[in-house]
Amino acid sequence: MNKRRFDVAAAAMLVVLLLASLHMISAAVQRSEELGQWFIPLLLFTLVGLVILFGLVGWNLWQLLRDYRLRVAGSRLSARLTVLFVVLALVPVSVVYFYSMRFLSSGIDSWFDLQVDSAMEDALTLSKLSLDLHKRERLKLSENLLSSIEDTSQTAMALSVNDMRASSGALEITLFSVQGKVLALSHANPDILLPTAPDSGMVQQVVAGDNYVGVASGPDGRLLVRCLVLDKARRGIVLQALYPVPEALSDISSSLQDAYEAYRTRAYMRSQIKFSFALSLSMVLLLGLFAAAWAAVFTARRLVQPISDIAEGTRAVAEGNYDKQLPLPKVEDELGFLVNSFNAMTRRIAHARNALEEGRHKLQAQHNYLETVLGGLSTGVMALDGDGRIQTANRAAEQILGVSVADLAGQGLQELGRHRESLQPFVDRVMESFEKGVHEGRAEITLYRGAGRQVLLCRHSPLETDPGTATGHVLVFDDVTELLKAQRDAAWGEVARRLAHEIKNPLTPIQLSAERLRRKYLGKLPPEDGVVLDRATHTIVQQVEAMKTMVNDFSDYAKPSKLQVKPLQVDEFLGEVVALYEGGTQHVVTDLNASGLTIEADPVRLRQVMHNLLKNAVEAGGERGHIVVSSRVGAEGGNDFVEIAVSDNGPGFDPDLIDQVFEPYVTSKTKGTGLGLAIVKRIVAEHGGWVHAENPHEGGGRVVLHLPGLALGTDQQLPLLAGIDGEGEDA
Amino acid sequence: MKTLAQTIVAILFLCAPVIGIAEGVEMRRVALTLSEDGRILLDADIKFNLNDTVSEALENGVPLTFETHVQLRRASAWVWESDVVEHRLRTVLRYRPLSGMYELRNLVGDERLSFATRDAALRTLGNIVAMPIIERKQLDLDEDYLVRIDVGLDIEALPLPMRPMAYIKRDWSITSEPWEWRLRP
Repeated sequence: MNKRRFDVAAAAMLVVLLLASLHMISAAVQRSEELGQWFIPLLLFTLVGLVILFGLVGWNLWQLLRDYRLRVAGSRLSARLTVLFVVLALVPVSVVYFYSMRFLSSGIDSWFDLQVDSAMEDALTLSKLSLDLHKRERLKLSENLLSSIEDTSQTAMALSVNDMRASSGALEITLFSVQGKVLALSHANPDILLPTAPDSGMVQQVVAGDNYVGVASGPDGRLLVRCLVLDKARRGIVLQALYPVPEALSDISSSLQDAYEAYRTRAYMRSQIKFSFALSLSMVLLLGLFAAAWAAVFTARRLVQPISDIAEGTRAVAEGNYDKQLPLPKVEDELGFLVNSFNAMTRRIAHARNALEEGRHKLQAQHNYLETVLGGLSTGVMALDGDGRIQTANRAAEQILGVSVADLAGQGLQELGRHRESLQPFVDRVMESFEKGVHEGRAEITLYRGAGRQVLLCRHSPLETDPGTATGHVLVFDDVTELLKAQRDAAWGEVARRLAHEIKNPLTPIQLSAERLRRKYLGKLPPEDGVVLDRATHTIVQQVEAMKTMVNDFSDYAKPSKLQVKPLQVDEFLGEVVALYEGGTQHVVTDLNASGLTIEADPVRLRQVMHNLLKNAVEAGGERGHIVVSSRVGAEGGNDFVEIAVSDNGPGFDPDLIDQVFEPYVTSKTKGTGLGLAIVKRIVAEHGGWVHAENPHEGGGRVVLHLPGLALGTDQQLPLLAGIDGEGEDA
Repeated sequence: MKTLAQTIVAILFLCAPVIGIAEGVEMRRVALTLSEDGRILLDADIKFNLNDTVSEALENGVPLTFETHVQLRRASAWVWESDVVEHRLRTVLRYRPLSGMYELRNLVGDERLSFATRDAALRTLGNIVAMPIIERKQLDLDEDYLVRIDVGLDIEALPLPMRPMAYIKRDWSITSEPWEWRLRP
């Protein structure tokens, strides 16, 4: 701000100085005798000042142009105003300048018209004629004076010149020899001892025989007639006489001569006078123009400054800077009111923005809180809008339904069903409830999916953002598959335990009674009856044994396990188990790739698992059975596990039952209790693993179990994970 | 419009330095002599040649002022040191239309001389005889001195309207090469 003030003061000072300089130039022109010596310095000063002013204006205009190109706020309006002001100043000034130059030129020309020229020449001629008459008289007189000299001795001449000067009224009379030697001198002023020397041209003229007469100015400015005459008697004497021109004639002639000279000089200087005036006028014009241009730029900037500020401010507000406050103009005008209003507006916007921001923060915090709570739930929660489109869903919903939250968002439930066919029953049931207008509902929905049967317990209720206005639905569902399975398993366990208990108790008396009957009456009965008794008691004992075995299996399944775990080398353990099956009709081979991996397991229970699986495989493969026992190491989620697979070349699992083969009493065999694989599953689960059955593409059946690993030996390298299908190939 | 063009040309060239080209003035002979009464006297024979522009101005009544500038300073003087002595001999030459004579007027003594021809006037103008410079006793005998003489037309003495153009036009630059002489009194 201070710099700007300094610039303004400097420019104003420069303009004032230039005006003063121009005024002094004008004064110097008018009073050239006194101030003439200042003319050129002032002219130079003015020109340098004008160049500086021009530079100042140019610099301002360049800045304006630069701002215009950079599209600085307010620059366009400034440029327009500047151009307008400059044009407004330029037009009248140019008109004035043009006509001033014309008037000046024609005015100066009018000083020198032909009539004045002619009159001046005539006056001069008249004066010359008048003087010529006088000159001729004086020449005649001089000739007579020289002729009157009779005695040419120096003394006589000295005496005679005094008389001649006195009688003729001359100012000075001198006698020379033709060689230029002064012979005698008489001057009105006796102090003057030297003659007024004629110039050589005059002397030569006289010596050549042509007497000279001319007018010259005396020391006091009065006109004198100078006559130089040669002695006609050829005595070699030259007389020079200086006669004062009569005062009246001298004054008039001098005055006329001065006027004529002044006129001639002015006429000669006509073009220079015009040039000087034009120069002065042009400098005034340039000063006016530059000052106007500078003032135009300055004024335009000052006028536009508040508007630029407002433009800048609105841009800042558009970019989100609501704290922008504009400087108030000093002058209380409409622009000041506008700036004031703008500042009030931005203050209010900033206040509203802050309140909004605070609300948003609170809302975000609530949202985060809700999301965290929902994310932590194991229950799937889904919010639907009025049209059944999914608005939000938590992670549990994603896990239960097996689709990502990103896929769910914005989708209609119908779309979900179309993309995931397995979810269609879920979608249908939910939509059915919605279509029926059920306000709140609860349903158990069974889905059949790749991983097996899945039972969802689903509830829905209206979503009320405003009290009493339902804008959608909240869908809450739990995957109760495992829960139901656990309940079923527990129920079966209880049944088995009670059945075993109730059945096992009478079996021993039955068996003992049958053996007692046999022992007591076999020898006493006739042979035919004895055979019958023997067969009957044998059958009773055998069936009772079979029933005992069955009851023991029941008991094993129902019995709560007490694992006695210890570190177990997987491959070593599998080798021991498989060794028991060598030598049979079936071909049992191993493909062990988990050497060095140790698991925590109860060897007795795990052996039972392997025996159950191998027994099933032997039964499935028949006489020409080919059984492969394989192991490999894998890693999932940073944890090692061992995968053990038992494959056979039998008919494979019934596809309808494959998902349920690990449940009790699910079997396709004619013999057996249907508890073998159920026990396998239970033992594996007790070891923290899981088991599944599958039918490989190449045929046969395969049971795969995963058990968590404990540690690898130092020489163990993890093999690359391969798909389950790739394992278990015949060795 | 011609005047305007001249104005622009003048503005462009007025700032250009005036080059002191020795034109129109020739110093034929310059001599410093010691008079019997111990004064150092200057004698010079200077020839003035007026070109057509200046002659035309003279014929039209424009008075021409010639200045003979004589400086005497110590040879080892600093730039800011003033001269030991300085003379300016200013003489006006003008044409008197009534008498048809050329007049020389010495501005110092207001002495007027009239001449029938311009050449006679210029000869007299250029003839400096026994112009006293300084008394020898005023000088330091162990010091070297420089005498510098330059002669020229004084543009500042021209009528005011003629000055800007006189500064611009070379025709008006009638100056001599400065004549310098080392003096051991």
